[in-house]
Amino acid sequence: MRCQLSPVKSRSRTKAFSVLVLLLCFTMGGLSPALAHKVIMGLYPEGDIIEGEIGFSNGEMAADVIVKVFDTLGTKLGETKTDDEGLFTYTPTRYIDHVFSANLGQGHVVKGTVSKDELPHSLETKAAKAPQVIAEKKPPDSAPQATPSLGQFRSNTLTSEDLEAAIARAVSKAVRPLRKDLEAFENKQDLQRILGGIGYIIGLFGLGFYLAARRRLATQTDGKS
Amino acid sequence: MHIVDGALSTEVLIGGGVITVAGLALGLRALDMDRIPVTGMLSATFFVASLVHVPLGPSSVHLIMNGLAGVVLGWAAFPALFVGLLLQAVFFGYGGITVLGVNAANIALAAVLAALICRRGIQSADPRLAMIWGGLAGALAIALTACFVGISLAFSGEALIPAAKLAFLAHVPVMIIEGLLTGAAVFLIRKVKPELLMLNAR
Repeated sequence: MRCQLSPVKSRSRTKAFSVLVLLLCFTMGGLSPALAHKVIMGLYPEGDIIEGEIGFSNGEMAADVIVKVFDTLGTKLGETKTDDEGLFTYTPTRYIDHVFSANLGQGHVVKGTVSKDELPHSLETKAAKAPQVIAEKKPPDSAPQATPSLGQFRSNTLTSEDLEAAIARAVSKAVRPLRKDLEAFENKQDLQRILGGIGYIIGLFGLGFYLAARRRLATQTDGKS
Repeated sequence: MHIVDGALSTEVLIGGGVITVAGLALGLRALDMDRIPVTGMLSATFFVASLVHVPLGPSSVHLIMNGLAGVVLGWAAFPALFVGLLLQAVFFGYGGITVLGVNAANIALAAVLAALICRRGIQSADPRLAMIWGGLAGALAIALTACFVGISLAFSGEALIPAAKLAFLAHVPVMIIEGLLTGAAVFLIRKVKPELLMLNAR
């Protein structure tokens, strides 16, 4: 094997290598992103709407993806679509568990559930006579409709319902960064888990090795006796 | 590469499961005691390789390294890759338990087929020729996996040609990288420990 390369040869190799890297970058550029990655969906009930986001585990967001909404039995309630940043909103009109599902193609399906406990209680009262749900797409930062004005707070006309809604909104806002952190944490591939996996592999194959060795020993002793 | 739970139809799941069970049986039968450490090693290689995402251009790719497993292990690649996939599903939520059979079939069958096709070349007397065939096996394993993924999706309702084409195109960079890596690995094995490949010649 040649260990030393002449300068000319090494230069031409470097060139060939950089051409290859460029080629790789080029081929990647035209592709739909992250086909080999995991899809993550975050759902954040906030006031009257449910906000959500869909992205890939490498940080890219899924734009223009249709999100279908079902109840727990699989009956379709409606659908919405993500914007350029992978965000979507949905206005629930029934006090039931909502299952959000999106198919990004290529075997990437993601599902998430918002339990009814997280929905505003105002829905509970009108749940019975609610018509079929209509999905609505709004800009994610659109103000919630039923914000109690300051005047309402001052004049003591604040109903318990308004208060409940206001508290729910405040809490969900406060909890949101925590949820995001938690989700990121859950999807993290930390070294410990990778090492743990390798440990399992070593253990499993070690066990196989042990069993095989025992069997061989057994046949050997059988042969001798 | 990892298809997730809920993306495939039941027929495809069962089909993949059957192939994987058959492959596992063949693989375990082919697995001699002294090959077990190598199998574990390549299982760990696969497990780690598909977790490390290498940034490349605007996106990132992860390696699979099933071609190398196929070249070195033959049918024993089935248990090796199956264990890797199982742990990835349990620890990291990659793929899933119900689609384990399909994923294992897609990845391991491709590895075995690529190795069978390129085997004679890899065993050739000239190490350079062996390196080229090894590289081919590495790239071919990815290409076949991509095709199998496309076929699995097609049988579950996605249109065949676009699905397969997309899966194939997305893996072109991986094919190039793995071709180079597998070629280099075969070259090295030929130099330092040729019996690793020859044992498989039976």
